[in-house]
Amino acid sequence: MASTETFPELPLFDLQLQPQDLEAVAETLRSGWLTLGPRTAEFERVFAEHLGAKHAIAVSSCTAALHLAYLAAGVGPGDEVIVPAFTFAATATAAIYCGADPVFAEIVSREVPSLDPDDVERRITPRTKAVCIVHYAGYAADAERMKEICDRHGIALIEDVAHAPSATLHGRKLGTWGLAGAFSFFSNKVLSVGEGGLLCTDSDEVAAFVRSHRSHCMTSGTWDRHSGRTDTYDVVGLGFNYRLDEPRSALLLSRMGRLEQEIERRRELTLRYRSLLSGVEGIVVPFTDEEVHTSSAYVIPIMLEEDGSQGEVSSRLRDRGIQTSIFYPSIHRFTAYRERYPDVSLPITELASRTELTLPFYPHMTNDDQDRVVTALAEAVRR
Amino acid sequence: MSDWRVPLTDIAVPEQDVRAVLDCLESGWLTMGPRIAAFEQALAEFVGTEHAVTVSSGTAALHLACLAAGLGPGDEVIVPAFTFVASASATRYVGATPVLCDVISPREFVLDPADVARRITPRTKAVIAVHFCGYPAAIAELRALCDEHGLVLIEDCAQAIGATVDESGRSVGTVGELGAFSFFSKKQLCVGEGGMVSCAAAEHAERVRLLRSHALTSSTWDRHRGHDPAYDIVDIGFNYRMDEPRAALGLSRLERLPEALSARRATVRAYREQLAGIEGLELCFDDEAVERSSHFAFPVLVADRERRDRFRDQLKDAGIQTTWYPALHSFTEYGGYAPPDGLPAAAEAAGRHCALPLSSSTTAEEVEIVVETVRAALAD
Repeated sequence: MASTETFPELPLFDLQLQPQDLEAVAETLRSGWLTLGPRTAEFERVFAEHLGAKHAIAVSSCTAALHLAYLAAGVGPGDEVIVPAFTFAATATAAIYCGADPVFAEIVSREVPSLDPDDVERRITPRTKAVCIVHYAGYAADAERMKEICDRHGIALIEDVAHAPSATLHGRKLGTWGLAGAFSFFSNKVLSVGEGGLLCTDSDEVAAFVRSHRSHCMTSGTWDRHSGRTDTYDVVGLGFNYRLDEPRSALLLSRMGRLEQEIERRRELTLRYRSLLSGVEGIVVPFTDEEVHTSSAYVIPIMLEEDGSQGEVSSRLRDRGIQTSIFYPSIHRFTAYRERYPDVSLPITELASRTELTLPFYPHMTNDDQDRVVTALAEAVRR
Repeated sequence: MSDWRVPLTDIAVPEQDVRAVLDCLESGWLTMGPRIAAFEQALAEFVGTEHAVTVSSGTAALHLACLAAGLGPGDEVIVPAFTFVASASATRYVGATPVLCDVISPREFVLDPADVARRITPRTKAVIAVHFCGYPAAIAELRALCDEHGLVLIEDCAQAIGATVDESGRSVGTVGELGAFSFFSKKQLCVGEGGMVSCAAAEHAERVRLLRSHALTSSTWDRHRGHDPAYDIVDIGFNYRMDEPRAALGLSRLERLPEALSARRATVRAYREQLAGIEGLELCFDDEAVERSSHFAFPVLVADRERRDRFRDQLKDAGIQTTWYPALHSFTEYGGYAPPDGLPAAAEAAGRHCALPLSSSTTAEEVEIVVETVRAALAD
């Protein structure tokens, strides 16, 4: 690292692991068994139980989970998958991996920056194979209405739950409303491990498909062969290497035990943040206090009322040691997407992208830190 | 776990490796940071390549190598039939067609340059040379063939880190335009799941770096260090990143890789010496190849498939774990890719071989147990 680089005093996220997490990883490393073994199986069992889903399948990333979810939904060349543009690119890119086209739909508003079911329904064509809703920032999109619409049209509902492990809608865990849910364990996530993901489903068929395709469609794994269960294997499809390894499963399993508690802490901090932010002029704070209680409280997004001030406000905050991020630039405005899909226009999404800033947030954030961020934000917006 | 008397492989993770991973976890920075950079630099030095780019697996490395090589729909890529399935699947990910090719012989089970020459068509764009089980392919001949026909040479080094292609000690992964390595758990250098692309050309490295992380123009790490939060996405990329704990583990283990490879080679020499002359058993390759190989696996040949299956049962009964690698065209998914004239040497290699226990911690006693069991089994 060059010494001239500046690390933010208040970073966007900050991960602190506990001694028991480290011990779980150390024990796994010492065991000498590093891939798809008993720890991954146990993590999958615990996560499925936590969700109330029939199957949980650990994979290498949420991108991989989305890719496999779309494939399992039958998405292929010539098909369309309706997705929001106010999300990380992977939600759309995974459709392109399948040879399909992402069709971008609008969000409801800056206050409710989730996929608008009415707009989705307008965009359904005979080519539509699936809809992917994103539970942005850890808050439930309208999975219930979306499910009803998808069922009526005979298309699959996929949930991008990268932000929202353990969040619920009407008491039901997010990720369990559709055919499959795709989770992320990327380093800045609520349940982070480095690189990792997971797909949940209640369908035995989808589960079998995903298990097979995450490991090259081989009919048996290294662990099966090692434990003498089988001797050889066939390859029965075009699969991938989307496996998670044992040290990461061990870390996830260890951290799972504290997930609810950490999310509870995130909710408390979020409510405090929201109460402070309600006094700041010139910003819109998405979602409601009530929704915080059922969300995973992943990040703190705010929208600047003044269009065009995002870069300046972000840079003023950076000068004060406060890191912010944009969750998210509109996917259809990226070069790679403008080239492929030049005529997409989503005014609400584009405004949200132009005005959003995500504030520093982590479970061990202090009140002082929060106060400092909000004060600095108020000043940066006012100027 | 299993109760094999002699397991096929064994991974020892000493405390210094554990410490390296824990240090990383304690730092709280888990993705695309200083440890990845350090691991990549150390790998580039070890392999003797200009650029080393870590990725999530050997499969991802092959996929990105195919993309960097510009392969796409309509292209044909020549791939040996005797390899792990990823060598062929990677070509299909980019829309190209794998053309299965034969190996030299069951004893020399690497891509046969003469057969490669026969299968080149106007659509052929690349050749994937696999250094199977750690034994270097006939890379000089393949390089010449590729140059003659204007083809890209990709080296599948998934099983061959540390193997050399000539007297100068030149490493595999430096002759082709691109090389793909694996750090999967059974490999000589293992981190769990992981891989790497090696290449000489800066534009190839840049392309691989871009596509391994969704073609984002800046990373989380860059932004954390105070760079502008804005980024663009300039292509259809993937999440093929390796994370920091795995880089920490790999970096720690890389230090001991030379001695691990020496230990593997010594075990293979001992095996060959003690197995020589046993009726019904054939050793693969020659002594020179043994010196250049990095010994991922130690396959030997018996009379035929039926004998091999019985041989493996006999060893299993004695508590000795073995394995074998099917030829690609024997798989349901790849049967249709076999040429009409068949791939006789690959089929025979797959049918007759049995890989005996081999790791960097295989002991002289274990070799002796295996050799005695083999002797008794084949006398039976």
